[in-house]
Amino acid sequence: MSVTPLSPSRLRPADSIGLARLGLSARPARTALTATGIALGIAAMVAVIGISASSRAGLLAELDALGTNLLEVRPGQSFVGSSTELPAAAPEMIARISPVIDVAAVSTVDATVRRTRYIPEAETGGITVLAADPALLGPLEGSLAAGTSLDTTTERLPAAVLGAVAAQRLGIGSLAGLPTVHVSGHDLAVIGVLREVPLAPNLDRSILIGRTIAATLYGASDNPSVIYLRTVPSQIDAVRDVIPTTANPEAPNEVNVSRPSDALAARAAANTAFTALLLGLGAVALLVGGVGIANVMVISVLERRAEIGVRRALGATRRHIAVQFVAEASLLAGLGGLVGVALGAVVTVGYAATQGWLVSVPAAGLAGGVLTALALGALAGLYPARRAARLDPADAVRPAG
Amino acid sequence: MMPIGPVLELEGVVKEYAGHPPVRALDGIDLRVDAAELVAVVGPSGSGKSTMLNMMGALDRPTHGDVVVEGRSLAGLDDDQISALRGQRIGFVFQQFHLLEGMTATDNVASGLLYRGIDPTRRRERALVALDRVGLAPRAEHRPGALSGGERQRVAIARALVGDPAIVLADEPTGNLDSHTSEAIIDLMRDLNAAGSAIIVITHDRDLADRFPRRVEVLDGRIAGDHRSIDA
Repeated sequence: MSVTPLSPSRLRPADSIGLARLGLSARPARTALTATGIALGIAAMVAVIGISASSRAGLLAELDALGTNLLEVRPGQSFVGSSTELPAAAPEMIARISPVIDVAAVSTVDATVRRTRYIPEAETGGITVLAADPALLGPLEGSLAAGTSLDTTTERLPAAVLGAVAAQRLGIGSLAGLPTVHVSGHDLAVIGVLREVPLAPNLDRSILIGRTIAATLYGASDNPSVIYLRTVPSQIDAVRDVIPTTANPEAPNEVNVSRPSDALAARAAANTAFTALLLGLGAVALLVGGVGIANVMVISVLERRAEIGVRRALGATRRHIAVQFVAEASLLAGLGGLVGVALGAVVTVGYAATQGWLVSVPAAGLAGGVLTALALGALAGLYPARRAARLDPADAVRPAG
Repeated sequence: MMPIGPVLELEGVVKEYAGHPPVRALDGIDLRVDAAELVAVVGPSGSGKSTMLNMMGALDRPTHGDVVVEGRSLAGLDDDQISALRGQRIGFVFQQFHLLEGMTATDNVASGLLYRGIDPTRRRERALVALDRVGLAPRAEHRPGALSGGERQRVAIARALVGDPAIVLADEPTGNLDSHTSEAIIDLMRDLNAAGSAIIVITHDRDLADRFPRRVEVLDGRIAGDHRSIDA
């Protein structure tokens, strides 16, 4: 008798996805709960990536706007540890270095600031008085919230410009009513209020007065306490190297040069380290979700012995059964991944909006979130799928026991 | 033209299950079923008839001896080839129906063709034809939960028949049905048998078996009798 050969059993890929959908839709509540575990893990990771990217985008935008070519020169400590001074001619000398674009200096004035003479002397609010060059705002790219800056006229007059925090502490919000401040025995007219200066935060807690008036009223010296300078960006390292000998040729080792934008850059970098930690936590949440899927799939295999048996009887090979369960686990996790990515994006946009940052949700992060979930699902489905595939069809088609 | 020659042969089939001592469920079964035969395998519980169903349906392999389906010896086939053999040449009907709740009667029947790589439209077309053969065309879009026990078993029978198998194996097909519905199911099987598939019904019910033209009695893992009647 001739035997016609059988064609091998075959499951179309579209049908295996259909089977996975069917398996999940048969138990909607369980599907939703299990997918939620993955969704939360993915949402946490996407939100961490999104928020840190948005925050970094914010910092970098700030850095970009402020420029990284500002240097700050301060007196250092002498060889024996006592404090030193910069020579009064230092700003002028530095201005002669050719790549230097702009220079300005401030000197600390030994005076206290109060709102009026009636405030007790001890309550200075931690505000410093600085004698400043009229050109100070140039290199710092500072700007005024109200009024005018010091100029060659006002720097001779008893007038003061308040830093943003100092103005707040003194309770001066506007120039209406011609406010004055009491600085060590003299009332000075407030002619301007600065906005915050991110590259020189010490200015925010100071009031600025002219050099001439500082010398007249308080006997302030001309030795600068901080010199700010801008250089041609490409030459910043070269300038940095020659500043100590230029500013204080007699004691170059007593000069400190720093770059304020480094602090912002460091903040952006510190952010990265923190992000890695949070991502790790998100990954743990995701892993827990994956274990949840494996757990639910194992239960599902036990419950669906009869179905597995019938499918084997209908011609399914062991591989077809395994594919069905892996596809089901992947689809389950993929659903969770989609929801999680959407949730994470919403959290990012919301948080960035409250912080006033640019929203930056990397597309790679979104695609990665869904792919990670799919892969995790497939991984979680492997063991249950193996168990399902190994069921003996003769046992599976009969009620257990 | 009716197919001729045996569609199923059991040759000295012995099946032992591991244990101390091993349990010999089948003890040298020789059986030959011809094409388009209608056979009842009858025996009390524990007689080995379920094990015999496993052998005849290629759900399990014998410890000794061989099972031959349409000239193909199971001993010469690997696991995937046996899966293909079940899917294409053998239809199963179970006492518990084993339908999938989440899909319609048509989709349940169409799942009988799922592992053949046939496209879904064609599967549904053939499923509707099979449902029509068992008299359930009007219920085609109902889910199993909305069908009576007899209707569910008809869906299961349609699923077994949709792939035009050479053999249909029914394991206590009326075990969960009342006597009136059982009659109807048996009548249906006799009608379908006329269309060409050999139908083998496994049952413990002697009265039911008496309605079949050939009755194979199983006792203690051996064949105790093989009766044929002309006008059953």
